[in-house]
Amino acid sequence: MAVIVETQDLLQTIAASLIAGVGVTVVFSVAIWGAARFADLNRDERPLAAGTAAALAALALAVTVAAVAIGIVAMAQK
Amino acid sequence: MSSDLIMVIVVGTALAFDFTNGFHDTANVVATSISTGAARPQVAIAIASLLNFAGAFISISVAATVAQDVVDAGVITPTIVFAGLIGAIAWNLITWSFGLPSSSSHALIGGVVGSAVAAAGFDAVIAEGLVGKVLIPAVVAPVLALAVAGLAIGLVYRIVGGQRPGVVTRGFRYGQIISGGLLALAHGTNDAQKTMGVITLALIANGTLGAEADPPLWVIVSSATAIALGTYSGGWRIIRTTGTRIIKMDAAQGFSAQGAGAAVILASTHFGFPLSTTHVINGGVMGAGAGKRISAVRWGVAGNIVVAWLLTLPAAAAIGAAAYGLTRLFGTGALGPVLVTLASVALIVAIFNRRARTGAPVPAS
Repeated sequence: MAVIVETQDLLQTIAASLIAGVGVTVVFSVAIWGAARFADLNRDERPLAAGTAAALAALALAVTVAAVAIGIVAMAQK
Repeated sequence: MSSDLIMVIVVGTALAFDFTNGFHDTANVVATSISTGAARPQVAIAIASLLNFAGAFISISVAATVAQDVVDAGVITPTIVFAGLIGAIAWNLITWSFGLPSSSSHALIGGVVGSAVAAAGFDAVIAEGLVGKVLIPAVVAPVLALAVAGLAIGLVYRIVGGQRPGVVTRGFRYGQIISGGLLALAHGTNDAQKTMGVITLALIANGTLGAEADPPLWVIVSSATAIALGTYSGGWRIIRTTGTRIIKMDAAQGFSAQGAGAAVILASTHFGFPLSTTHVINGGVMGAGAGKRISAVRWGVAGNIVVAWLLTLPAAAAIGAAAYGLTRLFGTGALGPVLVTLASVALIVAIFNRRARTGAPVPAS
């Protein structure tokens, strides 16, 4: 039987799925962690730490949205 | 005149298949959002319908695979495509009737392969395309989704484990609106393309299009519309199986399962693999469950789903072959497809009556 498995495409699919699936989920979790920490630290009246947590949450959320947008655009370009 | 009538029947049957694909498969897409309380059922299904419609316009790689890489378009006739569609629809309805989330995609490919073999022998099948672009991804995709979801949920619990559950649950429920939407978009782009591919195959076989032609715009628009309408019709039995019987999920697991499913489907679509969204989302659900606790997954239910998966290709192929044989009993004209279509409508009515007798669909909650 000839070589019929499209190994290159399959490996790229596996790599892209792992990076996007795990990466986006982890980054979004960081956003939630940041939001939760912001709420706690704000309640404890620690504004500097709360602000840092909020900034981290916002950054992680922005990365999540950007990753989703880039993923859709990349897929549509073939 | 006869070939035009056959083409009308083929296109109508393909769109009917697309409709059944919508209500059969997309239930899987919204099940996790509904079961975790991230979205109300009607809202989730309405959003999924719109995004399925939009997704159909994103890519045509999968349509090209279905039209050109699975069976030899040179020996295919519109009647073969018609019989394959009958095989796919029949198997879809049988599994839907029993609430089993089997693969519409593999039913379609199985049906077309079965009818092609019945008509022209095994030479009609492009083994490289069938194995390399359908069978291997069919095995890899759900395992990959399981691994991605399992790995992701493990990391999620490490990151947010010490935080207040209320904030975390609310956050992941919001996240599920995005991940669920992405999954619906991915479903639309992969699954609607299979119908586009099979209509394009019939148009090529009929001589309406050239051998390497892409799907015309009217094929894309009608396929997108059919899958969106099917999605809106819902599929409550399968929502219940996927959303609550495999595992009882929290919002973080739902997000991980949907994120894994969307990533695998979108990456596969990019390379033209016509995989099953059903396989992928169920793999993701099992991975998200097993990542928290292996025993959280109801492996008996998962086993039944695996059996349905294994049966799909050969069963749809057998029905497709039988439908082709039945159609040819009435010659090569339009009479065979007309009579088989009428018989199929009778089968659909019988299955709906059976469901009506066994009670109303059960919501997921």
